[in-house]
Amino acid sequence: MSQMNGASSLVASLEAAGVDVMFGIPGGAILPAYDPIFSSSIRHILVRHEQGAGHAATGYAQVTGRVGVCIATSGPGATNLVTPLADAAMDSVPVVAITGQVPSVAIGTDAFQEADIRGITMPFAKHNYLVTDPADIPRAIAEAFHIASTGRPGPVLVDIAKDALQKLTEFNYPNSVSLKGYQPKLSADAQSILDAAALIAASSKPVFYVGGGVIKANASRELLELAQLLGAPVVTTLMARGAFPDSHPLHLGMPGMHGTVAAVTALQKADLLITLGARFDDRVTGKLSSFAVNAKVIHADVDPAEIGKNRFVDVPVLGDLKFTIAALIPALKVALAKNRPDLTPWLRQMNSLKAAYPLGYDTPKDGSLSPQYVIERLGKISGPDTIFASGVGQHQMWASQFISYENPRTWLNSGGLGTMGYAVPAAMGAKVGAPDTTVWAIDGDGCFQMTNQELTTCALNNIPIKVAIINNESLGMVRQWQTLFYEGRYSNTSLESKRIPNFPMLAEAMGCVGLSCDRPEDVDATIEKAMSINNQPVVVDFRVNRDAMVWPMVAAGTSNDEIMIARETAPDWDSQEL
Amino acid sequence: MAQHSLEVIVENSPGVLARVAGLFSRRAYNIERLSVGPTSNPETSKMEIVVNLEGHALEQVIAQLDKLINVISIKEIVPNAAKAIVHDTQPDYQN
Repeated sequence: MSQMNGASSLVASLEAAGVDVMFGIPGGAILPAYDPIFSSSIRHILVRHEQGAGHAATGYAQVTGRVGVCIATSGPGATNLVTPLADAAMDSVPVVAITGQVPSVAIGTDAFQEADIRGITMPFAKHNYLVTDPADIPRAIAEAFHIASTGRPGPVLVDIAKDALQKLTEFNYPNSVSLKGYQPKLSADAQSILDAAALIAASSKPVFYVGGGVIKANASRELLELAQLLGAPVVTTLMARGAFPDSHPLHLGMPGMHGTVAAVTALQKADLLITLGARFDDRVTGKLSSFAVNAKVIHADVDPAEIGKNRFVDVPVLGDLKFTIAALIPALKVALAKNRPDLTPWLRQMNSLKAAYPLGYDTPKDGSLSPQYVIERLGKISGPDTIFASGVGQHQMWASQFISYENPRTWLNSGGLGTMGYAVPAAMGAKVGAPDTTVWAIDGDGCFQMTNQELTTCALNNIPIKVAIINNESLGMVRQWQTLFYEGRYSNTSLESKRIPNFPMLAEAMGCVGLSCDRPEDVDATIEKAMSINNQPVVVDFRVNRDAMVWPMVAAGTSNDEIMIARETAPDWDSQEL
Repeated sequence: MAQHSLEVIVENSPGVLARVAGLFSRRAYNIERLSVGPTSNPETSKMEIVVNLEGHALEQVIAQLDKLINVISIKEIVPNAAKAIVHDTQPDYQN
């Protein structure tokens, strides 16, 4: 055990926790830590805004499955992390944030750059620490990584007073972490697995309702085996895109507000929801009292508070999904051997809907560029190994709809918090985590203007991401709601981004290659050009039609039964046998 | 609506009361009465929280409280009447 200051103990602790990269910006209170960082094996990427550090840590974590790390100073440095940490909480991403705090004797005095970041993050962080004694640093870091990465993953913040970083201490990293009040359950009770298997074997219209938890638990392979064993349809939520191959014949697509008719209807008409790592979000259920009214519910999740939170559950299955699904497979084999229901009529109904109502879009009559076409071509040309990160809004929905996801951890977005500006920094973190993989950020012109400064970081640090700006010169999703629900009164949604800024010039100014495209016939060549540049970030300004809308749509607060496939157009239910 | 009393054993560390109170605030539940005191173990404290909740809401409060890292255990002190099983759920809303 060697004597060192708290800052060295912090960096040694991060090394002991297995950190290989972190994203951050130094400042007064965290400055002692930046001295040992200078000589550490950990790669520190100097971002241009702390929000970028937080989303980069999230992108890194989403792609690698490891804990993402961001670091900032006290006060504004710390408060700039609030949005990405809230984002990571909503999407259950393992992130550890390190913040400097003013010296312990100054805490509570409104000192320069003092903000109570522990108090500020308390409502949403999975946990947080304020460390004022340097001897507590290794334990706090070890616990933070343990809490962030186990159970339902989430963000943990460790706020460290400046004097704790400066004082001498002994470095003593704990070999293991034991917390009385935190023991996430790995294996589900055997009885709950048997109950689930029995309910599945007694059901004739089951559907797998798959959420992001399947990806978090690395349980995609188990899910594929389970789904094929039963032969029931599968829907994957926005957070679960890629958890089950889009190309699989059992896959009906995404449910929810902008889900496919088949996926939405499967949930509505099912007699059993086999819910795996999903949380009955309002964007999936629509009006809750009319959601899947005839369905029994199996809810498997690692977070006990999610089970039954929004929807009454018939069979709760508490545990890590990898173990749960692995245990369910043999149990279901036994149950199906006794009684195997005929799912053929149910599958026929769902496949008929899938065939009758595929995702589609109208090509603009004026010859302008269709945003959906651009995104579809990006997916086709770039291929299923590409990682896509999107912002929030219309382009996000189109990117979830018109790209085929075949593998987990290839689709990153801000699903729960809906954070505009997520794409560029998240793509940066993703590229750092998967440097040999093509990473495309699909961003809106509104989103892009919130966080594009991280392209400078990318250019300087050899992080050659590609960015497709779907430039409809609008806050497109808000504009769509104004079209549909506010009589076309476009209050403050026109960004005029086809005039200002000049995105290719902005990209060039930040050390990226800037391209633009506004004709359908140029789309493929432009994408191929962007794909050929791998030593620099590339930004493509796709100047698209502004009137395109996201369909299908279940309007907020209405029933999933009222899904519309176009404006004032419901599916032709009479032609369907349901 | 019946009052329910929860006996919550927490780690005796700074900020725990704020975490518990903050959770009730964030999840939009009311605390009817709250007392905090020592236990025989100096590392833990005991909170008694009285809430005007039942059914789904009561189950949610307990489940969410249990997720706080500093909360070690929660015991519901059941009043004389047997607990009614209520299959209620979240109300509808437009978001």
